[in-house]
Amino acid sequence: MFCEKAIELIRELQRMSDGQLPAFNEDGLRQVLQEMEALYEQNQTDVNEAKADGRAELIPSIKLRHCCLLRNQRCLTAYLYDRLLRIRALRWEYGSVLPANVRFHMCAEEVQWFTHYKKSLASFMRSLGGGEGLDITQDMKPPKSLYIEVRCLKDHGEFEIDDGTVILLKKNSQHFLPRWKCEQLIRQGVLEHVMS
Amino acid sequence: MFITDIRKEFYEVVANQRVALLVASDIDALCACKILQALFHCDQVQYTLVPVTGWQDLGTAFLEHKEQFQYFVLINCGANVDLLEMLQPDDDSVFFICDTHRPVDVVNVYNDTQIKLLIKQEDDLGVPSYDDIFRDEDDEEGGDSGNESEDGSEPSGKRRRFDEGAVERRIDRQRAKREWEARRREILFEYEQYEYHGTSAAVMLFELAWVLTKDTKDMLWWAIIGLTDQWVHDKITHMKYVTDIATMQRHVSRHNHRNEDEENSLSIDCMRISFEYDLRLTLYQHWSLYESICNSCYTTCIFKLWTLNGQKKLQEFLADMGLPLKQVRQKFNSMDMSIKENLKDVIEESSNKYGMKDIRIQTFGVHFGFKNRFLAIDMVHATAALLESTEKDESNSDNFIKALDSLSRGNLDRLHSGIDLAKKKLIAIQQTVASCICTNLILSQGPFLYCYLMEGTPDVKLFSRPMALTLLCKYLLKAFVHSARNKRCKLLPLIMAAPKDVEKGTVIVVGIPPESETSDKKNFFGRAFEKASESTSSRTLHDNFDTSIIELKTEDRSKFLDALITLLS
Repeated sequence: MFCEKAIELIRELQRMSDGQLPAFNEDGLRQVLQEMEALYEQNQTDVNEAKADGRAELIPSIKLRHCCLLRNQRCLTAYLYDRLLRIRALRWEYGSVLPANVRFHMCAEEVQWFTHYKKSLASFMRSLGGGEGLDITQDMKPPKSLYIEVRCLKDHGEFEIDDGTVILLKKNSQHFLPRWKCEQLIRQGVLEHVMS
Repeated sequence: MFITDIRKEFYEVVANQRVALLVASDIDALCACKILQALFHCDQVQYTLVPVTGWQDLGTAFLEHKEQFQYFVLINCGANVDLLEMLQPDDDSVFFICDTHRPVDVVNVYNDTQIKLLIKQEDDLGVPSYDDIFRDEDDEEGGDSGNESEDGSEPSGKRRRFDEGAVERRIDRQRAKREWEARRREILFEYEQYEYHGTSAAVMLFELAWVLTKDTKDMLWWAIIGLTDQWVHDKITHMKYVTDIATMQRHVSRHNHRNEDEENSLSIDCMRISFEYDLRLTLYQHWSLYESICNSCYTTCIFKLWTLNGQKKLQEFLADMGLPLKQVRQKFNSMDMSIKENLKDVIEESSNKYGMKDIRIQTFGVHFGFKNRFLAIDMVHATAALLESTEKDESNSDNFIKALDSLSRGNLDRLHSGIDLAKKKLIAIQQTVASCICTNLILSQGPFLYCYLMEGTPDVKLFSRPMALTLLCKYLLKAFVHSARNKRCKLLPLIMAAPKDVEKGTVIVVGIPPESETSDKKNFFGRAFEKASESTSSRTLHDNFDTSIIELKTEDRSKFLDALITLLS
């Protein structure tokens, strides 16, 4: 059946949970493009025939192939776009240097897109704060105060903060700590920000 | 030592330090903790909050944190034992104790350096004076050694006379010392024999907030909940409750002053606290009126709803008020407006006819948004149910966190789940009370009444928790007093035991003072349990901060009881 390969690509993306980037399916893409080419060729010949011989009964099959072409195009663009969105999210998750295994899953053009995005984001951040620059990738939500209240979700052991004091992170204990020290642990899921 | 200026001696000392908060597991402590947290957030004082459920927990928490913290704030724990001996802290650790447990241990009172008590001294404390309990050993020894040296230097001629004089003096001193020690034991015994509770910790910390002029309506509401918790769980006398309510009323009027103006009225979403002279029917606004009447201690006991006669009387009562059964059985919010309007007055009038003179109680209610109205009593029951919920896989600290969350206005779904749990708990309590009375499970053992909940009893898991069991105990005693014929039995205290941990084979034992109108809520069971346990060498665990609640091995139950009977006869 037509368009099945394209749906395969989409399903592959859906199977991976949010944020994970599967390897770039070069083969699948090529197969879909080949199918599209084949359909296009067939359509070209049929259209010429229909125009020349006036065979109206070819028109439904032309229409069908045209629809398949559009569908394939839509699936392919959706596949590529979704991958780009995931790669964009990776910048916010991992920072500007991606781990090697992730980079392995991206094709050359995607890597290029990523570098452009990085540059764009960096110049934006530099322009904030009256030319001083502000790293907006640091906090998960816009910070409202210097200190936040956090709750410990699992036993993490001892944790040292800037002035050298050590805090024991035990399950279900609550602490009032400087925001910047907690961000990392909140991302890891060890601490939870408590809003009162 | 007692702190006189709470701002200078407590708050300003900790304001620039990192503090460890060790909080006990009861509602008053939770409310006090919320107030203190809010103050610390204001001033960006870094703190660590650790929930503790008993002395062992307290010890462990202290050991874990003593390296990192110098200042410890203990809420509703620590005042009634010699804290320094128990925890063995370093010399630079300072403890601020805000505790309602009385009597305050004398060592805590007279220690000037490490223990600071955030307790009002006007509270009738009756602490023995310093000289009665502590005595410098130096005078005596100095006297003795002086005499000896004198003896040594005197020529032998006069020695015999001096010897006699010295010996007489020594005998006198020893006698005086024995007398002093006997008196000391007596004074300490009198001081420590009864356990009771003082002013709510939440109210104390609210007053700190007020002195700092950082008090908000939220804090005031928490203070009110803390105070109501003391009343619901029968920790303070009615007189004290009314006095403290009057104090809170002054604060409430002060906060409500803004609403006087008709033109600048506050938005409906703002929090409004109001004084209510409301019905003593637990959770009635979140339940149906009928259910509430059937499950509130006061009405159940006076109607004796476990008997058929009682049920009939209830129907008569409802008919007397003109409330149709259909209305009364549906959710309170869906009752007809015409009925709801004068409900309190109608109920009060009818209750007087049926012998319920105090159907109304002074309390406060909060109102924010269109749907959210809660009475302080409702909140106490909801939070207590969350704090002691017996769901599987929930540790004590999980429950603590859930209960703490439910006190914030933003976590209404938590609060509603608490209300549902509280309803189940109340129904369970009433059913257990009914079955205990109907099957005569309460036995008179001479100096006290005794009731044991067998393992297979429905909902017995709920009663493995101290607060739930204490509530059951209180209701059961009230019901018993109303149903018993024997006059003497009505003046006895009650001890209740329920299985606590089936694997370890332990039971939880609770003792409450006798039920009376003018009871001063002083509980002597703490000391009695200790003595009985010692004398029979039963395996007991006195882990709870309330000394009248202990854990006991099931096998030792009978000999422990026998010891208690002999002790108290």
